[in-house]
Amino acid sequence: MNPARAPSHAATRWGLQPKLILAMLLVGVVPLIVGLSLAFWQGSREIQTVNGENFKALAEEAARKVDLLMSDEVARTSRIAADPAIIRELEQRRDALLDMTEDERRRAMDRLQKGWEAKEPATVQTITGSHMAGLLQEYFSGAKSEADQLIPQVVRSATKLLYITDLEGHLVASLTAQPPLANKNQAWWTGAFHQGIGQLFIEDVHFDERVQTYVISISLPIMDRIRYEAIGVIHRVIDAKEFFSPSLAPIRFGKTGHVMLIDHRGIVVNCPILPTGLPLSDAQLIPLVTPLHPGWVSAPSDGHGGTSTSIIGFAPVPETSRATNGTLDKGSWHSFVWQASDELFAPIWHFLTWMALFSLVSVGLMAALGYLAANRIVTPVRRLQAAAQLIGRGELHEPIDIRTGDEIQDLADEFNRMNRQLEAAFAGLTDQVTIKTQQVESLLHSTDQILDAVPTPIVMVDHNEQVRYINRVGRDSFETILNGSRDVPLFDLLPVDTATRERLRTEFTCVRSGENAVVAAATEEAAVLSPIRDPLTPATDKADASSQQEIQIGPRQYHYQWFHLAGGNQGGDRIGLIFRDTTDDSRLQEQLIQAEKSGSLGTLTAGIGHELNNPLFGILGLGEAIEEEANLDRAKSYARDIVQHGRRMAATIRDFTGVTSRESSDQRQPVHLEQELDQALETLTGSLNPSEFMIEKTYAGDSCVLALPDQLRQAFTNVMMNAIQAMKGRGTLRLATARTDSSIVVTIADSGPGIPKQYLSKLFDPFFTTKEQGEGSGLGLTVAHRIIKKFGGEIRIESQEGSGTTCLITLPAIPLLLPPQEASCSESTARSAQQPSSS
Amino acid sequence: MQRINGSLCATALVLLMSGLGGPDALSAKERSASAGIPPEKVAAYLYAVIKADRTVYTTEIVDRLQGKGIIMASEHWEQENALMLPAQFLHHSSKLVAESGSGIRYRLISLWPIYRRNAPASDLERSALESLSKNPDWPVTGIVTSGRKQYFQAIYPDLAISQVCIGCHNSHRLSPKRDFKLNDVMGGIAITIPLE
Repeated sequence: MNPARAPSHAATRWGLQPKLILAMLLVGVVPLIVGLSLAFWQGSREIQTVNGENFKALAEEAARKVDLLMSDEVARTSRIAADPAIIRELEQRRDALLDMTEDERRRAMDRLQKGWEAKEPATVQTITGSHMAGLLQEYFSGAKSEADQLIPQVVRSATKLLYITDLEGHLVASLTAQPPLANKNQAWWTGAFHQGIGQLFIEDVHFDERVQTYVISISLPIMDRIRYEAIGVIHRVIDAKEFFSPSLAPIRFGKTGHVMLIDHRGIVVNCPILPTGLPLSDAQLIPLVTPLHPGWVSAPSDGHGGTSTSIIGFAPVPETSRATNGTLDKGSWHSFVWQASDELFAPIWHFLTWMALFSLVSVGLMAALGYLAANRIVTPVRRLQAAAQLIGRGELHEPIDIRTGDEIQDLADEFNRMNRQLEAAFAGLTDQVTIKTQQVESLLHSTDQILDAVPTPIVMVDHNEQVRYINRVGRDSFETILNGSRDVPLFDLLPVDTATRERLRTEFTCVRSGENAVVAAATEEAAVLSPIRDPLTPATDKADASSQQEIQIGPRQYHYQWFHLAGGNQGGDRIGLIFRDTTDDSRLQEQLIQAEKSGSLGTLTAGIGHELNNPLFGILGLGEAIEEEANLDRAKSYARDIVQHGRRMAATIRDFTGVTSRESSDQRQPVHLEQELDQALETLTGSLNPSEFMIEKTYAGDSCVLALPDQLRQAFTNVMMNAIQAMKGRGTLRLATARTDSSIVVTIADSGPGIPKQYLSKLFDPFFTTKEQGEGSGLGLTVAHRIIKKFGGEIRIESQEGSGTTCLITLPAIPLLLPPQEASCSESTARSAQQPSSS
Repeated sequence: MQRINGSLCATALVLLMSGLGGPDALSAKERSASAGIPPEKVAAYLYAVIKADRTVYTTEIVDRLQGKGIIMASEHWEQENALMLPAQFLHHSSKLVAESGSGIRYRLISLWPIYRRNAPASDLERSALESLSKNPDWPVTGIVTSGRKQYFQAIYPDLAISQVCIGCHNSHRLSPKRDFKLNDVMGGIAITIPLE
């Protein structure tokens, strides 16, 4: 763990809980925002469409209403126009005019004009007080109407002017004196009269000076009684606002939604907000809302001065439009339905506000729930984390108790199981460690005990020649030197002279550098190869290797030995030094050697004395007899006996000396065992009766040993001679060679009487013999033993009284010779065969 | 009573066929003064043409296109991109004839008009419609006067020749009679010829 890195890591790190909360918020908020946006967009569209369609329907309905209103008025006016009395009067007027000349007409007209302009009561009376005017008044007041066709009050009050002209456009009847007298040049008159054909003419809204208000007008031709031609025009001027308001003004929706009536020029005919006669504020709006079919449009302005996007429904007033300004293509009226955008879109904004509010609440809820949920998830996870840390430290003793009923609980259960297993495993390990520690301690203790029990000092030294351990005997031995301190250099411990110290240091260095094996091996080899010293043979080399391994410490002599102790994992290698107090050993050995020397010398002298005494006494007796014998022949016979005795003595001495003297020659060579055996046998069996004496040979073949052939043959001869003598010329002599991996065993067995058990241990002693005096010197087996020993072999005699004797000779084998070497082996054999047997 | 001025009739017929204006009519009047055509015949000619035109329009245009679903006929045809109704066709052509200044006028009348202006204007018209509804085979003719003016009027029966006719009249909100059937007499075509 890098502590320097941890804070920066922690600063950018997001825990599981915030991540979960964030994820939940994102999961909730993103769809919410997308949904809200889509809802707003779609809602706006739908509100536009729905409102547009509604506005359109409303506009159509309003247009129909206007149409009905106008149709009613047209019909009402038309009833006046169809009045037979009026028609009759106008027909008469037409006929009268036809009778008049142009001048008469003009003069009458001028007179009337002056009177009318001057408001002469008489003239006015002819117009406003005529019969026709009376009829008009009756119609206007509703007196002539049917009971179910009452003229509404609004119509009466809205009708500002009502008058009739003749076919010349001259005023003939009027309710008031306001109308002009001549109307022929008026557009409405021309339109309505229409060259005598007559047609309905509805005038667009305009300001009328006479009534000082914005008006529309309805002009109808008064046809003759057969409806063939127009004979006059009835003209009605209506206050637009007053006329339409009662019908249109009540159509309100919301705060701003209303219906208005405009003409094709965009002039307001009636509007609850705008004054009549005012054009729409945005001229570009006019073509959008005045097509000849109903519809709705999302316009850039509202026509009421506002420039926000507006939904406007519109519809032409169908029947009325056909008569406006005479024909449809000269003008049309349109209903216009509008509501302020703010209000129109208020529901969606309202909806959006509420949705935003709810969204906020939702987000809050989500955050809270997310927190709770995350907490619910994270808390057990954190507990698991803490538990995992405890498990890691091996400190979790209570099982994790998480009851969430889901994977986390399963995980906790797994943790618990794992922890139990770990505890069990650790407990086993601890026990094992304790046991092992105890074992190690007891081992150390016992090692200490063993080492302390070892009666020789043992010192352990490290690489730096510092003494690390000394066993009890060592401590006792070197107590004076140690002075209580154990940690002393080795050579402070060993007070030896400089030369010895140098030698020791050299050996130490060798052992330390891993050559201890060599040293040990050399030492071992020296010990093994040290020849067996004959007590009679004077020691030739006093400074042998073993004397090097000894040192003198104080008054005592120690034999020491280095050993190397591999350090293993824990520490460096150590060098051990074992001392063996040889002070007493040397003394004892010397005493033993002395005893051995005296003992052997005693036996030897007794043997030699015994061997030489008999013939000597014989010689002495024969000599004395010769002195006294006068008989020369007898004396000569005595002398021959003396010579014989002398020769016997000489043979004894030769035999004796032969044991020792040939040891000087040490030219070993490969020797063919079987050949040596055969040659030895040959020299012995020449005088034997073959019918009574049988020889069985079982040779392994080609058994070679490294030896001196003469001596080896001597040893065989000695052993076989004993066997032949024991059989007394009768019986079976079995010779056998057997080869193992490293040695060759020669078996020489006779069928003689055997050797008593008590003699078996003395067989190889010099001069020990069971033979009669003069039959053997008692040196044969001794010699054979020595020879075989010298060649690294062993000789053993097994015998059971009454069932023959077996001599087993084991010699170290040399590897099977290859042909050239075999030739040399044979050669040596041949060479040795040429030498006469000396036994 | 049913005498007619033949020259006038001829003039009207020529005018109707050629669509020419007043000055030509006057010259034609002079040219054909010798040949007299009774006003009944003139009216019959006129009626044949009016009827043929209206029938062609009704069957070959309105019925056919409406049957194929290409375009519908509607009273407010200007606003709805539709065909005018056959009755409107007759009204409009009649208006054009009147505006031409020929003097000959004709119009549709009915005892059950959708619009009041199409109601019978005179006693002759009313009685003619009543008699035609009983016996549609022969037109009713007569001389009518307006002040000092005299006119010849012939009223021919107007039958419901198409489903379009009865469909409209039976469903129009202003229609006073709504149980017309195919080939019923729905009203009449009144042709008026001035006798001056």
